[in-house]
Amino acid sequence: MLEFIDVSVNVGRSPILSHISTTFEEGQITTIIGPNGCGKTSLLQTLNGQSKLTVGKIMLDGEDFLEKAIRERAKSLSFMPQFRETVPCISVKGLVEHGRFPYLGFSRTMSAEDRQKVEDALDFVSMTDSKSKIVSELSGGQQQRAYLAMQLAQDCPYLVLDEPMNHLDFEGQRNMLSLIRSLKKANKTIILVLHDINQALMISDSLVIMKNRELIAKTSPKSAIESGLIEDVFNCKIRPVDVDGETQYLLT
Amino acid sequence: MKIDSKKKAMIFIGCVLGLLVLTFLLALVFGSINIPIKDVVKVLTGQDTSSKVAFIIKTIRLPRALAGIAAGAALATAGVLLQSVMNNSLASPNIIGVNSGAGFFVMLSMALFPQSLFSKSVMAFLGALFTSLCILALAFFAEKSRTTIVLAGIAVSSFLSAGMNMLKTLDSDLTVSATQFLIGSLAGNTFKSIKVPAIAILVTIIISIFLSRALNILTLGDGVARSLGLSVDLFRIIFVILASLLAGMAVSFGGLIGFVGLIVPHIVRFFVGHDARVLIPASAITGAFFVMAADLLGRVFFSPYELPVGIILSLLGAPSFLYLLMKKGARRVNA
Repeated sequence: MLEFIDVSVNVGRSPILSHISTTFEEGQITTIIGPNGCGKTSLLQTLNGQSKLTVGKIMLDGEDFLEKAIRERAKSLSFMPQFRETVPCISVKGLVEHGRFPYLGFSRTMSAEDRQKVEDALDFVSMTDSKSKIVSELSGGQQQRAYLAMQLAQDCPYLVLDEPMNHLDFEGQRNMLSLIRSLKKANKTIILVLHDINQALMISDSLVIMKNRELIAKTSPKSAIESGLIEDVFNCKIRPVDVDGETQYLLT
Repeated sequence: MKIDSKKKAMIFIGCVLGLLVLTFLLALVFGSINIPIKDVVKVLTGQDTSSKVAFIIKTIRLPRALAGIAAGAALATAGVLLQSVMNNSLASPNIIGVNSGAGFFVMLSMALFPQSLFSKSVMAFLGALFTSLCILALAFFAEKSRTTIVLAGIAVSSFLSAGMNMLKTLDSDLTVSATQFLIGSLAGNTFKSIKVPAIAILVTIIISIFLSRALNILTLGDGVARSLGLSVDLFRIIFVILASLLAGMAVSFGGLIGFVGLIVPHIVRFFVGHDARVLIPASAITGAFFVMAADLLGRVFFSPYELPVGIILSLLGAPSFLYLLMKKGARRVNA
């Protein structure tokens, strides 16, 4: 279980979040939703050190997460940032191999096990055939899959994906959703930020709802809809639509 | 395709190594008097230690060739490190002012303690380090955009150039030696003048190769690098110190040799790709070849005059770099 206990975050000198507490359960998909600028990214970026805590702590499976060495952290929780400053001109395989970085010893050479994990990760996102392609020359959807494969090679029980649908077209989004579902089947704990409420309602076991830098609620998608919370926070009307036996939601 | 690109890299490295050895021998053969290759070999293998020819090779040509190798390897490697650390393809020791920083400190030491050679390399390192840390701090506090770093570097660079010109104007004894220094010249180097810097350069390049996987991670951007468990801030500082050491040492005996640090990494990336584990050693030997070859051309073609290596490098390097940029597929050169 990943717990945020009384966490406050500053960006620069201005306080962004104060005294947030919430939990992310093992083996579940938990999605943080909320209007832009509500502090979703700032909250999650504490996990990879991009934003710093001023108060509070983060516990992962009962241990103080931020007290651990950065390399150890990277073995238990992997993180896909929302923005990437650069896209490298290296092969997909080269990128995925970087996922093994936290495990490499001083000599930085890969073992047979490392290589196997890289192959498995490429296979999982169906990119084995394009492993020699250059990442910066791929489409947005393929790039996102390549980065996900890197994250899988990192082989962590916890995966954080901050807006993985960024810049993805319809097919890319559908692909990503089904990959996330199969990750859950592989017993991973998944923490997401999503903008598409319908996607969040469909895929999540649990929702963390934020607005104006406050945590409004942590609840199941069902009760978030039934209690009218979603309509309230996003200022919209919500309508269930039956699509081939699966309930989807139309926000208007 | 994977095998192809590996093969391409190996062929490139092989060719450059061949050219490097060839240029090295030519640099010993040609000069104000041309020494037959078999005499050169005799000197190099130790069969001839006392003739006039041996004296010329050992005290003039060999140190100068080695100075070219060391300076070229150092500047090219520094270029790779800075470009990766600052995530900016325009970063190079010359453009962002690291060379000027080293140069200013060296000229200061030339003015204050004209005799000591050791203080010259120490000053060059301190100057380079001071400047790069300044630029890193400026970029950090302003905003971490790629343009800011280069702009900050250009500002710092012109400030330090003004400082150098001020020293040159105020201290007239400095003017003669400083002209060579400001253009970048390998003339007059001896074993004594290059010993300490050359060893420092060799050690630093080896350390850089050792840390190249971390450098690869750093080029993925801060967010990704942190998520992969790299202490981004620590490694950024380490690489800046290594780059400063390299640039500073090269400046201490070669002066302000420009352009190598900028273009060599780009040219080499074009052939061997972006993996720092290959890029660093390949850039080092390519830089060594470029500088030594340019120095040789400057000595031989304009004899009895001599054009300093800095001029030749820019004269030949700029057009060939432009050619590469225009060529189809050059998209991968910059990134």
